[in-house]
Amino acid sequence: MSAHNAAAERGGTAPKPRTRLALGDILSMRNVAVTVLIVYFAVFMAYPIFKAFAGSLHDWNPLTDTYDWVGLANFRQVLTDALFWKSIWNTAVFSFFSILFRVVIGLALAMLLTSRLVRAKDSLRGLFYMPTITPLVAVSFVWMWMFDPQFGMIDKITGLDISWLNDSKWAMPAIIIMTVWKDFGYATVLYMGGIMSLPRDVYEAVSLDGANKWQTFRSITLPLLRPTTLLIVITSLISYLQAYVQILVMTGGGPGTDTYTISYLIYDQAFQKYNFGVASAMSVILFALTGVLTLLMFKASGDNLEETR
Amino acid sequence: MNVKRSLAALTAAVAVLAGATGCSSNTSSGVIDTKADKGLAVLGDHVTYDPNHLVNDGQPIELGYWSWGDASTDPVITMLHKYEKIHPNVTFKISQVAWSDYWVKTPLSLKGNKNAPVLFNVHNSQDALLRPHMAAYDIDLKDLEADYTNVETHVVDGKVDYIDSVINTGNIYYNKTLWKQAGLTDDDIPTTWDEFAEVARKLTKFDGGKMVQAGFNMNGDGRYDGLWQGLNYQRGTLMFDKSGTKANYDSKATRENLRFLLDLYEKDKVGSVKFGDNSEQSFGNGQTAMIYAWGALQGTLETKYPDIDYGVFPTPTFTKAVPFAYDRYNGESTPGINVHQSDEQQAVAQDFIRFMLAGDDYVRTAVKLQNSFPGKKSLQNDPEILANPVMAAIKPRLDRLIWPGPTPSTLESSPKIAFQNVFQNHQNIAKAVAAAQAQIETDMKGSDFTSLERMYRHYDEAKQD
Repeated sequence: MSAHNAAAERGGTAPKPRTRLALGDILSMRNVAVTVLIVYFAVFMAYPIFKAFAGSLHDWNPLTDTYDWVGLANFRQVLTDALFWKSIWNTAVFSFFSILFRVVIGLALAMLLTSRLVRAKDSLRGLFYMPTITPLVAVSFVWMWMFDPQFGMIDKITGLDISWLNDSKWAMPAIIIMTVWKDFGYATVLYMGGIMSLPRDVYEAVSLDGANKWQTFRSITLPLLRPTTLLIVITSLISYLQAYVQILVMTGGGPGTDTYTISYLIYDQAFQKYNFGVASAMSVILFALTGVLTLLMFKASGDNLEETR
Repeated sequence: MNVKRSLAALTAAVAVLAGATGCSSNTSSGVIDTKADKGLAVLGDHVTYDPNHLVNDGQPIELGYWSWGDASTDPVITMLHKYEKIHPNVTFKISQVAWSDYWVKTPLSLKGNKNAPVLFNVHNSQDALLRPHMAAYDIDLKDLEADYTNVETHVVDGKVDYIDSVINTGNIYYNKTLWKQAGLTDDDIPTTWDEFAEVARKLTKFDGGKMVQAGFNMNGDGRYDGLWQGLNYQRGTLMFDKSGTKANYDSKATRENLRFLLDLYEKDKVGSVKFGDNSEQSFGNGQTAMIYAWGALQGTLETKYPDIDYGVFPTPTFTKAVPFAYDRYNGESTPGINVHQSDEQQAVAQDFIRFMLAGDDYVRTAVKLQNSFPGKKSLQNDPEILANPVMAAIKPRLDRLIWPGPTPSTLESSPKIAFQNVFQNHQNIAKAVAAAQAQIETDMKGSDFTSLERMYRHYDEAKQD
């Protein structure tokens, strides 16, 4: 007796027979896409993060199959290494000034491009955004040549005699200048979007109240753009804490170790010295540092937003 | 319809991924070889090779070869093609991997991967990474030692996994045009560092206090980090202590040499850290009169700066007397054989290595492509090879060059940082040297490296610094 007939005899409703559509649903493009994303996340994000955490507790060199448990020895070595703390300081300096100039220049240009003073807004926006989509390695090489004291155009144009990348006073500022030049376009575009979506009636109201342009900017525009600023600062922070490509190309961490950043130090430990355990311990510390700074910013900004409301 | 679309999407994704990961098969496209007698002469003096035989019983076989170079830089590739002509059933699949990726991809790939190479290019600085995957050469050691110099430095447990095809060391390259403009002749070629400083002063030019031509330039990679070992050897100081495991960078010789080099820049003013950060490029552009460089520079000059008229002379020494050693040398290694591959493939690889080492073509090609001195004894007095100024500069010093072994990279990177700290950051020499020594010791913790300096034939003359 089939289940269908048995159910009918008991007076119940017969279950619907399985249709071919069920298989189609399972294999729908949506499910496939979600599965691919989950697999991608698991393989390329979750697993490497887990592996780095585990690796930080081992003497690890995958090229020689070395993987010996050392407990917290790698963390002890890292935290007592003067070069690690110097790299942290360099990273802080690099990140602070890069973010500051990125925000200031990005906002200033966005204000200019959304004002009535400038024509050809679309062309200029495209022009400013171009460095952002240019590969960082290529940009780093070009700037390295521009900074060259023998044939670089920066000394030639300014008449200066500075060996930018070989002078400990100028090497880090030179890298910051290049990074800001490459990245300010991203902030400009985001700020332009933010400015264009600001409510017009608020501006009409403050205008009727007699506020001048500076007061309007300081008391209305800046607070209303706070979510955009927060987005730019947090994405910049995450990006700059991981910066190493421009260091690798332009200075190799020099002169001496004056432009070592934490990510460059991790690269150096892992791929120059094959000391993956120590590099992983540094990565875990960087991971925690990035998380804490991001949370603090969210919290500070959230409190401010509450106060604004 | 959904199912079809989804399956099509999955199939496409799999196809893309397969393409991206470079799936391939080991199927050989070679032919069957039935002719054992090739009508060719037996090659070699002590290591000999008779080409008149079948390899792999004449059956088609494919062997992978990995290199960071191409046919214009790697002499093995020329030999692979010659071998394929003699043994048409053998096909080599040659893959080029960028140097920066090579030392991660190769050791990982060699471990039991069917698509891994059977033969691969070796650099002795990565000995520790590659050695666990290498099969020993099936050639009598006495024959190898009779034909090649410095074989003994590569012997481990009575066997060798690779040897030096050619060797190289540093020399001074000078711009002949600037030399003549300064009123200098061949008689002015310096043999001591004092003479060198005097010549360098004549070759330096200023315009309103700004240097426009450097007499001697050591800015950038491959200069001090390549020179310090040689300068220390000239003063009789070894790179490592007696145990061969502890670096001897923080020594009186290192500090004296850094002072000497700093004086060249700051007292003699024959160079400047402000004069660009790439001395090789500056020399190629005719802005620098002299640089210290190894043989590879010759190739760079020929391809990038063909208009430069340059000469080469041996690196000066501190006195006219024969020093403990003139400089460090390093060898270009012969290929490795992957011990994890099949017996058939390893047998063909062994046959190829014997073919390569028995004849002269491989070393001659290496001399030409890598501008290095022949490791094969029968070619060391070859007039054609000695006509090259680099070879002529190396030949008389051959007996007084040291190979310290495949030293860890920190022995170059840490002194480079010390140099930058002294020259660019104006740090005290003793402090910079001590910091570099500490970094080297940290980096070498857990390393099983032991220096081969003890194998130098004049080792007993070293100073105890």
